[in-house]
Amino acid sequence: MNIELYDISRRFGRNVAVDGVTLDAGPGVLGLLGPNGAGKTSLLRMLATILPPSSGKLALLDRDPAKPAARREIRRRLGYLPQHLGYYPSFTVVEFVEYFALLKEVPPHLVPKAVAAAVEKADLGPKAKAKLRTLSGGMLRRVGIAQAIVNEPELLLLDEPTAGLDPEQRVAFRALIRDLGQTATVVVSTHLVEDVGAACSEVALMSNGRVVFRGTPEELTARGEAGQGVGDAPLERGYSAILAAARTGS
Amino acid sequence: MTAVALSRSRPAPVLRIEIRRSVVLWAVPLLLALFYFDSFRTAAGFPPVWTVRSSVITSQMISDFGPFAAGLAAWAASREGRRKTVDLVATTVRPAWARQASALGATLFWLVLAFLAGVAAIYIDTALNATWGGPPLWPVAAGVVEVGTFAVIGFTAGALFPGRFTAPLAAIGTFLLAEIGFHAALQMNPEGSTYALLSTATAVPLGDNGVFYHVAPDVAIAQVMFMGGITVALLGLLTLAPACRVSYRGLLSGVDRVGRGLCVAGIALLASGVAASSTAYALAGTAKLTVSGWDIPALHDAASDQPVSYTPDCAGTSFRVCMHPAFSGFLSDANTALQPVAAEIAGLPGAPVRAEEVPSGEGVGHGLVLPGLPRAGLSGTPPVYTYISDDGLAPLWGSPAAVDNAGWRAGFQQAFLTALVTGPPHAGPGPDAAVLSPTAAQQAVITALMTAVGSTAPGFGEDMTNTGQPAAGATPAQIAAAAQRFASLSPAARHAWLAANLPALRAGTVTLAQLP
Repeated sequence: MNIELYDISRRFGRNVAVDGVTLDAGPGVLGLLGPNGAGKTSLLRMLATILPPSSGKLALLDRDPAKPAARREIRRRLGYLPQHLGYYPSFTVVEFVEYFALLKEVPPHLVPKAVAAAVEKADLGPKAKAKLRTLSGGMLRRVGIAQAIVNEPELLLLDEPTAGLDPEQRVAFRALIRDLGQTATVVVSTHLVEDVGAACSEVALMSNGRVVFRGTPEELTARGEAGQGVGDAPLERGYSAILAAARTGS
Repeated sequence: MTAVALSRSRPAPVLRIEIRRSVVLWAVPLLLALFYFDSFRTAAGFPPVWTVRSSVITSQMISDFGPFAAGLAAWAASREGRRKTVDLVATTVRPAWARQASALGATLFWLVLAFLAGVAAIYIDTALNATWGGPPLWPVAAGVVEVGTFAVIGFTAGALFPGRFTAPLAAIGTFLLAEIGFHAALQMNPEGSTYALLSTATAVPLGDNGVFYHVAPDVAIAQVMFMGGITVALLGLLTLAPACRVSYRGLLSGVDRVGRGLCVAGIALLASGVAASSTAYALAGTAKLTVSGWDIPALHDAASDQPVSYTPDCAGTSFRVCMHPAFSGFLSDANTALQPVAAEIAGLPGAPVRAEEVPSGEGVGHGLVLPGLPRAGLSGTPPVYTYISDDGLAPLWGSPAAVDNAGWRAGFQQAFLTALVTGPPHAGPGPDAAVLSPTAAQQAVITALMTAVGSTAPGFGEDMTNTGQPAAGATPAQIAAAAQRFASLSPAARHAWLAANLPALRAGTVTLAQLP
């Protein structure tokens, strides 16, 4: 398993953002669904080794991120796209991706090839030499994706990756995620249930810091078809039905 | 496993990107303009003496570069905070200290390069004008270290307090720091505290600084130690900062997360930096003023106290005008100025047979009486007129187009004639002692002699006594009338009168009415 969480919690003062989550995941695409404030980003930041958990056991790529040497090895194999991508406006697309390739310690002689491949996969070829300050929000999102995949990660964490992408780009990106999920564990945190339906092999639904559903998109759809939820699509109905049940404690 | 093989990489490629995209590049045109209009032009206005012109490196150039270095470094250091990439870079293998090292390295690369380019411009200009000596390297070392210190101060501020206001605040703060150091250095006196020597910004040195005596590197060594210590200590602080920042669950937890080795390195850097700076501070407190400037006994090499040997450059035949070869570019002007007045007074009792440049002594510039140092004025047998560069030649320094040659010639001749007419030796310390206030009759004679050689009548000022009477005992109009009367005499008559009355004139017993 690339991700093994056991009773993980994360507190910020008195606020409990993640409350006793137990989860594991191997290669494939795991969709992390949930309303605002459910704890998705905090969970993702713990998986990205940015935040240490307040309690519980966490293993990533069979290593304990609390140990500095193991954390380095995890980070070497990690790709992360935060919800709000910060960037350096004076860098070009290639420089930005190259910079992160080097920070991830991709061997320098392999960097040009890795950067070219990442830029190509993110469909940024025509804009490769453009300064980041000149790019649109959607383009910047693709730059964020390119930097996340430049080291061909074994664990890829994407926080709202399709935000700002147009429908055509979104379709292409879902295909990319499915492709990456063949060999790596991809965790996609999103509000958009259609992303989950189209790209994810598994879904975890969070509410109030807890995982309240774990299953396949088909299983989530089935919950919706039982008629308890609201929404335009079966997945949305399944999503809302589970959240409603979680809130009422049933 | 991934297709991209993973291994440790060297930091050089990251540094290359940082260098290419450094924020300093945006400021280079402004730095160049500031350098040209302030530092370069100031240096060009100094005598073409290596040690004097190199003083600009640690004064004007630091004032120009230092605040920019601090501000730009703070801007570079606060980048991750300002651009909100903290989470993104935190998931990479390269630790914070290594990323900061690359950013700081790139910032320092351009700053030091720009600074050295400025030094090169000043030194090339000096090489084209200097007639003696070579480029001193200690000011360059002190300047480079100080630019580095300013940059590291700014960088530390930016790293610890990332925000868009940190950079301007760092620039303003370091500017004020430099100004405080400069003013402390200006107010320093031999009897008081000497800690201000740690500031590289000082008053303009005397024009012959480093010409007659070596400038000991003692103070520069202490400055490099002091600033280098601050730099190293701040680097240690930067190394330790992540441990302190993540230590919300206790310092030990923070240390564990950052790495014990790194924390040990940070503490070692901090301790060694503080030790170096403290040592330099203590050393600066022991500095002593000598003829060649400030010496620090613990660092001083006594062998460097010997005067620098040189062969003066001279011009003229019956009356010789000599000067140190460092100033030989002005020999022709000095010879042209003095020969006519020397001819006017040739053969008179006590008339000098030679004019010779003597050291002013850096210590004298600070008001210190230094025994054994030749004084400006008239002395010796046969009499020799001695002058110092700052009084005699200073008006010639700078752009030839800006020099008032006629004014300088009149002033130089006036000082020469004043020495003859008021008599040797002049009492009191310092170069200003060469010019005493002559009596009305002496003023009239000096004016007449200068008029006789075609020079502009000198100005002696209109000093008044407490009772409102002219200090010279006569009004300027009365003196001018007497001078005109004396100048209208034939050269032989003037010479004869002076030959008979010069001792009385020197003694101040001749009145205006007694002048023919």
